[in-house]
Amino acid sequence: MTRFLLRRSLLAILTLFAVSVLTFLMFFVLPRDPVSGMCPKNCNPERLERVRRELGLSDPKIDQYLAYMKGIFVGRDLGSAQGGHCDAPCLGYSYVNNEPVSETIARVLPVTLSIVIPAAILWLGLGIGLGMVSALRQGTWVDRVAIGFSLTGASLQLYFVGGVLLLVFTYQLGIAPVPHYTPLLENPADWAGGLVLAWLALAFLFSAIYARLSRAQMVETLSEDFVRTARAKGLPNSQVYGRHALRAAITPLVTIAGIDIGAALGGTVITEITFGLQGLGRTAVGAVHAGDLPMIMATVLVAAFFIVVANIAVDLLYAAIDPRVRL
Amino acid sequence: MRTRILIAACGAFAIVVALSACSQNTGTQDTGSSSADAANPTQTGVIATDPLDSMGPAPEVPGGAKGGTFTIIRELKIPHLDPQRVYSFAGLMNAALYARTLTTWEQIDDQLTLVGDLAQTPGTNVNGDCTVWEFTIKDGLKFEDGSQITSKEIAYGIARSFNPDLTGGPTYLQEWLSGTPQYDTAWDFKANKSSLPPGLTTPDAKTVQFEFDRPRCDLPFAVSLPASAPVPPDKDTGVDYDNLPFSSGPYRITENTPGVQLVLERNSHWDPATDPVRHQYPDKFVWTFGTDDEASANRVIADNGADQTALDWNSVPSSLVSKTTTDPALKERSLLSPTTSANRLTINNQRVTDLSIRQAINYAIDREGLIKMLGGPTVGAPMTTLMPPGTLGYQAYDAYPAGPNGDIGKAKELLAGRTPELVLGTADDSSGQEMATQLKGNLEKAGFVITVKNIPADDKLDETKKKDNPWDLYLDSWAADWPSGAAILPVLFDGRSIKAEGNSNSAYMNSDAINAEFDRIQALDPDKQAAEWGALDERIMTEVAPVVPLYVDVAYFLHGSKVGGLFVSGVFPYPSFVNAYIEQ
Amino acid sequence: MKTRAKAIPDVGPITAAQEFVGRSPGRFAWERLRRDRTAIVTGSMLAAFLVIALAAPLIELLYGIGPHEQFQHELDSFGMPLGVAGGISGEHWFGLEPGLGRDIFIRMVYGLRTSLVIAISAATITTTLGVVAGVVAGYLGRWSDTVIGWLIDFALAMPFLIVALAVAPTVALRFYDERDEVPAEFQAIVLVTIFAVFGWAGTARLVRGQVISLREREFVDAARASGAGVGHILFRELLPNLWAPILVSYSLAVPAYITAEAALSFLGIGMLEPTPDFGRMIDRSLGYLQTDPAYVFFPGITIFAVVFAFNLFGDALRDALDPRSSRSPLP
Repeated sequence: MTRFLLRRSLLAILTLFAVSVLTFLMFFVLPRDPVSGMCPKNCNPERLERVRRELGLSDPKIDQYLAYMKGIFVGRDLGSAQGGHCDAPCLGYSYVNNEPVSETIARVLPVTLSIVIPAAILWLGLGIGLGMVSALRQGTWVDRVAIGFSLTGASLQLYFVGGVLLLVFTYQLGIAPVPHYTPLLENPADWAGGLVLAWLALAFLFSAIYARLSRAQMVETLSEDFVRTARAKGLPNSQVYGRHALRAAITPLVTIAGIDIGAALGGTVITEITFGLQGLGRTAVGAVHAGDLPMIMATVLVAAFFIVVANIAVDLLYAAIDPRVRL
Repeated sequence: MRTRILIAACGAFAIVVALSACSQNTGTQDTGSSSADAANPTQTGVIATDPLDSMGPAPEVPGGAKGGTFTIIRELKIPHLDPQRVYSFAGLMNAALYARTLTTWEQIDDQLTLVGDLAQTPGTNVNGDCTVWEFTIKDGLKFEDGSQITSKEIAYGIARSFNPDLTGGPTYLQEWLSGTPQYDTAWDFKANKSSLPPGLTTPDAKTVQFEFDRPRCDLPFAVSLPASAPVPPDKDTGVDYDNLPFSSGPYRITENTPGVQLVLERNSHWDPATDPVRHQYPDKFVWTFGTDDEASANRVIADNGADQTALDWNSVPSSLVSKTTTDPALKERSLLSPTTSANRLTINNQRVTDLSIRQAINYAIDREGLIKMLGGPTVGAPMTTLMPPGTLGYQAYDAYPAGPNGDIGKAKELLAGRTPELVLGTADDSSGQEMATQLKGNLEKAGFVITVKNIPADDKLDETKKKDNPWDLYLDSWAADWPSGAAILPVLFDGRSIKAEGNSNSAYMNSDAINAEFDRIQALDPDKQAAEWGALDERIMTEVAPVVPLYVDVAYFLHGSKVGGLFVSGVFPYPSFVNAYIEQ
Repeated sequence: MKTRAKAIPDVGPITAAQEFVGRSPGRFAWERLRRDRTAIVTGSMLAAFLVIALAAPLIELLYGIGPHEQFQHELDSFGMPLGVAGGISGEHWFGLEPGLGRDIFIRMVYGLRTSLVIAISAATITTTLGVVAGVVAGYLGRWSDTVIGWLIDFALAMPFLIVALAVAPTVALRFYDERDEVPAEFQAIVLVTIFAVFGWAGTARLVRGQVISLREREFVDAARASGAGVGHILFRELLPNLWAPILVSYSLAVPAYITAEAALSFLGIGMLEPTPDFGRMIDRSLGYLQTDPAYVFFPGITIFAVVFAFNLFGDALRDALDPRSSRSPLP
């Protein structure tokens, strides 16, 4: 187990490094020049070049990359235009937002977390629960309704669902407050109220997918021999389905959930744009448009970190659930 | 069973949609056009030389009441708050609340007048030749902590704009004072913090003097920009000043969460008796960011709760315009006004060298169809001149009268059988794409062969400003920093200013005769210039036809039912806050 | 159940052997599919969509209007279509687009073509790559699993949206001269490539997981014990047990890519004007939900129907391929 964890952690760090290098390189493939955005109407190329040099953008790429990496581990000096010395972990200075990148991340990350985690709990609970019930009551009206619901949800688009929810509940009926973010600790009721539509939209779409998947898995598992054996042994239904069947059915769901949640934590861009929430995904998109390299690097690394951790968690869960799997 | 679900879903969807789609659109709800034409700000007595005109207090706004929180909803955050770095429209209109300037614009009933704000008058032309300007500062001006605003702080504000770290703002004063576009090397701000840039002097605590190497008759206009806002030297926090500037106006910034919210509250040390233009009605101004234009429009239309005291800074999206303009209840809550932000189809004169081809392009454009594509008269108004209506000396004319839908026949006549192959460069965002499709359709009817080349939207402006760009046609817009021909025609069409990159003269036009005219007119008395610019406008279009003027942006904003005192600025295409109040 | 019972007639051994025709699992699956009403309906729908997409130029010929023709004289001064329900008429079956005034029906026909081509190509490539990678990683284990597993992690960790946003607009500039037109086919290839680079990882992970479970099963042990080589085990033992989930995952991947392409259009990447495209049409139409709902309805219902049909067909396919998933309640 420890060997597994050690091996995976090392690989994870390797992944993050690879991601950082690739992002850096990719950025320089773009013709987008972040400095020219600072120069609206009366622009002067020589002055721009001086700004570029001050920001370190004229240095060789490898130097820029190394300086950035050094900053993450021990901090570095950024010059007066970027706020002076930047303590470790230094994620750089965003010339677009006029603040250290770590401050921006500290502000937008909780928003994304607040969107994704409660939504994930909802969609997993609803999706798997619905799938199970539907599998147990195959052919009945419960099954049909569940299937209809999940098919519809799986066939719709998030921006459409979000748009309609907003139109109906916020603008027309005025029941739901305009989506906004309040920190959980500040005001839990307001936190929930401002995010509830986003949760519902995400939950509707994702639970539909998970309901279909879990139903299919459960149906297959329920026809296995060991389920019949468990029944024959006289075990109560809750044990048969809950402990035995569910455990067997759940592995592919774990994989997909891991991928989905890991990716979502990196920023649910469409949700954030549709509901006007300033989360990690939206910040990342804005950074790409503005050519704000430090911000791009930081958002990409944070997102990659979540995905990598989710993958390790998934593998651990695999081993925990399915005793046939050796790590 | 499952197919039944499918059919049911489709059916339900269909019914819902059909019910709402059933009404007949007969096209008779035109409400916008006339009101958009009506309110063109005209200028008479542009510069108010009588000190009385520059004295406060500003006349009371009918209905104005103290109190309330004025909310402004905007998608993007304001790029800069630092007055020496402000250049975006939102930043400029916001700066009026906390950054007073040497001169400012007074707008009463669509009449624009330049008056003194920190200065007693909009400047004295000491030698009569616009090379030396003197401003006398008023008494009783205070910062947000009660300290005095003197010439020292005003001069320091201008001096710090030479700091190369503080990018983003206009560069007029820096370039004019140092005499070169490389102003940051001509005078090193960081090495000379205790002195002032060349040409800028403060003979005493109440006088600021500018001395230039050439006539700069537009100086009074240039100092209406926030670049002339005062900054106490000990409060200058460099790049951090952008997050929390020190106020000299009726409001001060109390809370700034980037990308989320900006809060301004009353500055108790602001004296209305010194201010000819501003008021201090609301208790607070709050900018909230992150809401896109559809969401904000829907919120303000719904007018629930806090949105009743809100202004939607994102213009109404064209997809909702047909709903908002036909709702009589929304009429009272909307601001509608043409602006001086002009859009044109620029022709790259270095590549398209044949005058008849440029003229044919002018004839081929269907302006009515273009406006329809944009979303109607509340989005744009057709334009056939180089200077937009509302500029000093504007004259209406149409050098290539093509009627509302373009004159394909005349275009073909000018082409005389040729089928020129031209490349139209456009931004790859949705509006750039649609414009290109529309224009391509027009031009191809006349026989042109148009290739549309997509340029990444964030780069497009920089790329077209490069002298050797590979395209023949591209879209451009221009909103002058002050409504004078001098801030439009020579900037956009003087061929001597063409450099490798960063060109405002993206038409790359260079005509010796016209260049000489620019010099001649700019040496004239400011009052005489206006009519000359109007005449030159027509001459450029008739003799050179460097571009195709398309349309001016029309400002169309919605606000909540409790908001009052808003009007669209005659200088920048956005609402001004100086008279804003909340109904109590 | 009933099928098998019928297959054994009540006659003597020789005649019984002659009449008992062995059916392969594939044959069984096909027959079950044929009998499933849902599968028939959705299968025909999908076939119809495919035919429409392929026959787009023919349809244009018959319909008489092209996807780029503008009818702005049939719009009011706000650019909204005159008449009822967004301009539906005998000439314009689905009405006109607000703004540019182009015919919605013919643009949807071509848009369907664009979306299906991209989605099917992307699904094919990613499924193939993913299956190969997943099988190799899952079965061979150790070294190849570590390497491929790491590649999967890396592909999943790279931010799809950021890369798409950054790369898609600029790739064309590297291949085409500044004044040349970038053909729609190239844009489509770029999109499919981006999907492929990122999409294979999810499938690979899933397949790898399945293979890891399968490789511990008795039949694999048996094959190994009887001296079967790796190739034989991979292709004759494992793959046949996987092709059912692979096929299902493929049939679900196609609508997923249709949706993904629409989402990219929402963010401003994707197929550019004037190529008709579903995603862009839907994205643009959403703003008109309140003012021209018909404009939202037609592309919206079509993409919903396509995705829905694919999903349903995928379900029916899985039911047909997997005899254990019965619709009847458990005993």
